Amino acid sequence: MKLITYNFLTSKCIRGVKVGYPLKLKIVQKEVVQTDFNPEFITRLLPRLDYPTVHMAAELVDCAEGVPKELGENYAADQDLLQKLHHILLEIDIIEGQLECPETGRIFPITQGIPNMLLNEDEV
Amino acid sequence: METPYTNHIKRDEYEFVYEPAEDTFLLLDALEKDLPYIERLSPQICLEIGSGSGVIITALSKRLRNTLCLATDINPYACQVTRRTSSHNQGYVDVVNTNFTQGLRVRNIDLLLFNPPYVVTDTDELNMLSLKIGDAEENITKNQLVRSWAGGKNGREIIDALFKNLDQMLSRRGVLYLLVLKENQPNVIEQNLNSIGFNVENFMDRKIPGEHLYVLKITRKKGKDDE
Repeated sequence: MKLITYNFLTSKCIRGVKVGYPLKLKIVQKEVVQTDFNPEFITRLLPRLDYPTVHMAAELVDCAEGVPKELGENYAADQDLLQKLHHILLEIDIIEGQLECPETGRIFPITQGIPNMLLNEDEV
Repeated sequence: METPYTNHIKRDEYEFVYEPAEDTFLLLDALEKDLPYIERLSPQICLEIGSGSGVIITALSKRLRNTLCLATDINPYACQVTRRTSSHNQGYVDVVNTNFTQGLRVRNIDLLLFNPPYVVTDTDELNMLSLKIGDAEENITKNQLVRSWAGGKNGREIIDALFKNLDQMLSRRGVLYLLVLKENQPNVIEQNLNSIGFNVENFMDRKIPGEHLYVLKITRKKGKDDE
């Protein structure tokens, strides 16, 4: 699971959960997968991401240096920042770990690089 | 688009994961034909539901380099195979094991793809399978494979379940390419979707021995907000 995907995951689908975001991410094993830097991709995706959660994920993987807490207006021109965000969002692959619902504590395991967001029928 | 290699998938893995077949290739051909539209749409987020072997989403991820390409499958084996197909082909797909788009933020998908289980089957048989969603990992059986094609009454039970949630899946400019069978009654599907605010275009069809397949292209009707 790349951290860009993490940004889109929520436990709001659980019955009774109000926000369910962001999920608490616990990393047991991660890999770094080199990917071609594509500034246009990052620039276009950023408006669709929840930026505070991007920053939180950056801190979690010890890559927050030089990544601002709030995204300025001119981020598209900041190649250095885009490169960092590219690394954080697209190159770090969470292989083993878990996601936890912030309201109910329900655990969603991540195994072999794939988060399991399936719910039982009585949870929906 | 290049058809991704599948030579990394072992023969016996197709006991658990749907093997690419005529329906897969029709959907791939339809996407290829509509690439000019898709490139104009310039989707930020593309997601394939029930990616199976991962051939379709991998092909797209290599073509749409400015699009985040995600795949979901209810079958954990299919998720693993999709992940391997993407990496084997230098694709850019990230995979989530889930039912439809459960667990993902709503109204975010610009380009949605679904080759559903569309074969007309006994409803009870389908219910038996779907009740086991929660304990999927314990069911190391061919149930997983049955789930890839069994569609219940009119072959449309899973398709209809998708439509119930479609408004929560598609972004405002989102488009869905859906593969269906003649027995699913595409005209009824069109009426049903029209009544809940979507336009349907019969984008492509193909007759193969025993099946008449269609690719429907589904978009939101323009609302007041869009004018």
